[in-house]
Amino acid sequence: MRPGRLVDAPTAAAIGFGWLREALKPRSSYGEAAFGDLLPFAPHRAAQARARAARIERIAAALDSEQLDEAREVARHVPDVTSAIARASMGDVLEDANFFELQRFFEACERLDALTAACNDLPRTASTPLRECARVLESGRTARPGFYLADAFDDSLAQVRAAFVRAQAQYEAARGRANAAVAEELGREISPPEFIVMRADLRGPLPAGVRVVREAPTYLLCELDADETVLAALRRRDETAAEVARAEGSVRARISETIRAHVPALDHAMQAFGQCDVLIAAARFTRAQRCHVAELADDGVFSFEGGRFVPLALELQTQGRRFTAIDVRLDGIAVLTGPNMGGKSVALRTCGFIALCAAFGVPVPAARARVPLFSEIAWLGIGGDGESSAGDLLSSFAREIVRLRDLLGRRAGPRLFLLDEFARTTTPREGKALLVAVIERLREEDASGFAATHLDGIAKAAAARHYAVRGLRGIPERPAGDDLEEALETLAASMDYTLEEVAADGAREADAIALAALLGIDPAVIDAAHRAMESE
Amino acid sequence: MHARVGESILQLWRASGARSLFVAGTAKNVGKTVALRAVYRACTATGSFPGIASIGRDGEAVDAVDAIAKPRLWLEPQTVIATARDVLPASPASELLALSSITTAAGVLVFARVRCGAHYELIGPPNASAVRAVVDRLVDYAGIAIVDGAVDRVAALAGGDDAIVVACGAAGAATIGEIVDDVRALVVRLQTPRYDGRGEALAIEGALTPARVAQLIHAREQRAIVVRDPTQIVLRGKAVLHAFERLRIRCERPLRVIAATVASIGGDRSFSPRALAEGVARATGLPTFDVYAAERAA
Repeated sequence: MRPGRLVDAPTAAAIGFGWLREALKPRSSYGEAAFGDLLPFAPHRAAQARARAARIERIAAALDSEQLDEAREVARHVPDVTSAIARASMGDVLEDANFFELQRFFEACERLDALTAACNDLPRTASTPLRECARVLESGRTARPGFYLADAFDDSLAQVRAAFVRAQAQYEAARGRANAAVAEELGREISPPEFIVMRADLRGPLPAGVRVVREAPTYLLCELDADETVLAALRRRDETAAEVARAEGSVRARISETIRAHVPALDHAMQAFGQCDVLIAAARFTRAQRCHVAELADDGVFSFEGGRFVPLALELQTQGRRFTAIDVRLDGIAVLTGPNMGGKSVALRTCGFIALCAAFGVPVPAARARVPLFSEIAWLGIGGDGESSAGDLLSSFAREIVRLRDLLGRRAGPRLFLLDEFARTTTPREGKALLVAVIERLREEDASGFAATHLDGIAKAAAARHYAVRGLRGIPERPAGDDLEEALETLAASMDYTLEEVAADGAREADAIALAALLGIDPAVIDAAHRAMESE
Repeated sequence: MHARVGESILQLWRASGARSLFVAGTAKNVGKTVALRAVYRACTATGSFPGIASIGRDGEAVDAVDAIAKPRLWLEPQTVIATARDVLPASPASELLALSSITTAAGVLVFARVRCGAHYELIGPPNASAVRAVVDRLVDYAGIAIVDGAVDRVAALAGGDDAIVVACGAAGAATIGEIVDDVRALVVRLQTPRYDGRGEALAIEGALTPARVAQLIHAREQRAIVVRDPTQIVLRGKAVLHAFERLRIRCERPLRVIAATVASIGGDRSFSPRALAEGVARATGLPTFDVYAAERAA
């Protein structure tokens, strides 16, 4: 799954592209190959994007979580037979390890097809040629399960192997007799090929057939010389071993030929397995995150109800907290205001994440959604300054401006802009002017998006729609002590994160002083801040 | 005195109750594979077929590092091995049990059962944790396992419940005295006593390094120095003996060294087999065997 030109690195980081890629990641090497080719749908391919999302939704509906998880496990363990099939296609004789891998691949295909039998939206991986190959390998199946080039593959195998075992036994018997004779004469066991005879233990010459390979002051390092009987038995053993090798090679060549004859079908099976794996991963995400197929809009309106930024929603869930789903309707560039910690950034990320899912033909995490296919999603502001060739020589403001310059410089069709407190690091007056100008410029190119800001009067000045986070339901009581976790919980309980359209461009307080108090700032400082506010 | 070395070590192994046996050496070419082969033969003679693996590379005709001829491993049918895919002989065919995800320089590690007797080359896992996984799997397949340990890879013993045979020999040092010192240091380290909970203790997280030991000796540390297991003590040779003389080093999980083997020949050196075996037996207090001479030190 590659971002293509849809998102650059700062935007990808801001809206959870990496998280989504991990969530949609398949488990098999075939899936990875297919997944690696996945690019976002271009705006003119809305029909294909919608068809893909609808297909994923149907798969998620047809298979339950257990079936999806089990299919993922099958994919996780399936061996990669790409190399074996490529070698077979070139006429190579395959090794037993290749047959073992192929056998497990065939089993995985059958298992995957059985698990997904209830779903017509997934390709079938097993086929008649695949089953023919599996049948050919069936004689090699062992109990564990494993693979052995068993005698059942060919009558000749049993014969040559029996001859080898006999020859080996004869060789061992001949060698054993020679060893035993020497051991008896020496009065101790010997462990060929090399053994030591202590000079002090020797009462006469070395036994016949013992050759000294090295003499030391206290001992002799010896080897046994093989006599004619042993040598003849060894030759016979080696001959029979060569016959075994020939017979086994011949069986392997025959099996490899069968595989070669079915290479196109096996290639198809690998591709189908990869597609299944990718679609199953997406269906699992869809089911787990209660996603729905978005209607793909061609009128520029971007709206959704019950939208969730899933990475954060899951993180909150692990903390026992709840994500507040939001409703959004964007028709061009709108201004978003609201209190600190009220979820403005998360609202922007939610928009980006939903647009991202739609662009990849994946159902979106919202109860209902109408989403254009964007050619680019662009994040500007907090967390999206990006890298600059000038590095640290640039101030925060300059980095933001350089990024803005780059973003405005590339025009490539419908774009979603997510501006998170752009120009927050300069004077409010100049920042406001810049932001208004940027909104007007984006409107000229028919871009959609949100400009989240604490600056006053932007919506009115830019003649843009104005949304606001509902914010605090009253001023929360500061908890006793300095427990930050408790303060955050109090804040979350008091905050209404939902968005509402603001008819007039009335200034909204950021509740900054109340939040500062809640988060433990000295009450004297808070009182002074209130006095300063009142004196303005 | 003459002894059936393989059988004797097998008896010690069985008496230890361990399911796996590591043959660990003080140096290269000190007879680890010869000792392993003797124990293996003793096993097969009683109808028991252990799983076999190597930490490093064993069974090849010529040492890949120093080109010295190596003892080869003839394995009997039913033996289960772990080795690299590329060195598994094509013929006679083996029964493939599993292709692991552990990679070695010669391909992925495979588990296979020998169906026809043949010479096998064993290439082992690349790191200590993989060794443990392989040994556990071999025990699962075969009930018991023997591992031929490469030099300086005692880390692989961590976390296991193995019996250990320590191999030493003429290839590892210039004099019998040096061999005895080396093997004594290795055995002292591997046999680090268990901390019995009495007295104050200083628990060492991770490795006990030479620098840390020097620091503790300098500070005249009186508390027990407790490491997780002896493989965490990364000292060698005389430094081990020095550290154990000055500090009360203990561990949470001791290892079980059951025997030593000696090889009085090695490279261009040879020593008196009996003097070497007796020296090692005295220094280590272990049953000590000379596999080449089929003797046990008195």
